[in-house]
Amino acid sequence: MNWNDYEAVWKRQKLPIGAAADLADIRATFELKRRKLESTLRVRYITDGVLGVLTALGFLGYAWWIGRAGWPIAIGAALILGVSWVFVRDHQRRRRHQVGPEATLLTKLDAEIAELHHQRRLLRHIGLWYFLPYLAAGVLISATVVHRLRIKPPPGLLVDLLTTPRSAIFIYLTVAIVVAGLWLVWRDARDAGKKRIDPRLQELEKMRRDLFGPADSLSD
Amino acid sequence: MSLSPAHESLFHAWLEEHRGIVVKVTRSYAFAAADAADLEQELLLQLWLSVPSYAGQAKPSTWIYRVCLNTALTWHHGTTRRERRIEPDRDLAAIAAHTASPADSADERELLEKLYAAIHAMPESDRALVLLMLDGLAYREIAEITGLTENHVGVALTRARKRLADRLKGVTDELE
Repeated sequence: MNWNDYEAVWKRQKLPIGAAADLADIRATFELKRRKLESTLRVRYITDGVLGVLTALGFLGYAWWIGRAGWPIAIGAALILGVSWVFVRDHQRRRRHQVGPEATLLTKLDAEIAELHHQRRLLRHIGLWYFLPYLAAGVLISATVVHRLRIKPPPGLLVDLLTTPRSAIFIYLTVAIVVAGLWLVWRDARDAGKKRIDPRLQELEKMRRDLFGPADSLSD
Repeated sequence: MSLSPAHESLFHAWLEEHRGIVVKVTRSYAFAAADAADLEQELLLQLWLSVPSYAGQAKPSTWIYRVCLNTALTWHHGTTRRERRIEPDRDLAAIAAHTASPADSADERELLEKLYAAIHAMPESDRALVLLMLDGLAYREIAEITGLTENHVGVALTRARKRLADRLKGVTDELE
């Protein structure tokens, strides 16, 4: 058998003809998917953007209330807003650069590869645009509040607290929870890169090489 | 989202004439029957959504191939992890079974089943090319769908054709 036989068999295969697709079904599926997508986007906007904006507005209100001494809180609020801005801007960028389903295979592949590279870059620098601003905001806001409330610990308080079993447990537990939370976010980011983004990126780049590289470089 | 009557009639006209493309892409990219139904639904949905963007700049068949192959590519990546758990030998039989279509003879049907199974087993880059090539599209049309240059289409097709022939060699020997 040769190539012509394969082609002949392929062309003789019986296929359903006519517009058998039920438009009502398609409409229902589309509605379902649209609602699901909208609710996912709403949740993401709220968690990534709105919560940050509300928190920052709360701190800005407090900074305004205490007057000139509140400037470090305003900076902290701006840092929190900055993180929300990164999230929102990224959502918008992704929607703007979305390639339509009618694009050529090359355009679609390139767009997906570029998007994955971008996501990997974001995850790689998560310390810079996510952890650092939140940490700095936390330090600035707590230091200002402590200063404002004139909390002056008596000498040796920390030693006392750490040597009293109940308060020591509370302090260590609080620190452990904060560290664990940060570690979980960092681990999730690392896993997303290693388990989801990198393998898919490799697959797509291999496909692009196979399709668009010279004949000799087509890999098995 | 609802389409205007003109768009709806265009969609109907596409399906009247080119529904076979949707079926062939589905059979080439989906493994199990449930997956095939899911993919076919997704292809039809994306085609439906693409109707308003169609301004006659490409032949309807070229447009439909583009939408279907792009959708299958994304859909395929979404199911890659599940597919990796599939046992190749056992599942090739299942693929062949659900791709079966009435044909002139048992041998021909068997060859068609094996052909689909071989396409399934090919790298993704080759899968789209082989599909277009078996459908008898000209290099220019394949270039329009994939974004490759015509020269590159020739090179890639030669290689893909050889790979498919290698995969089918044992099968066709048995049939002969």
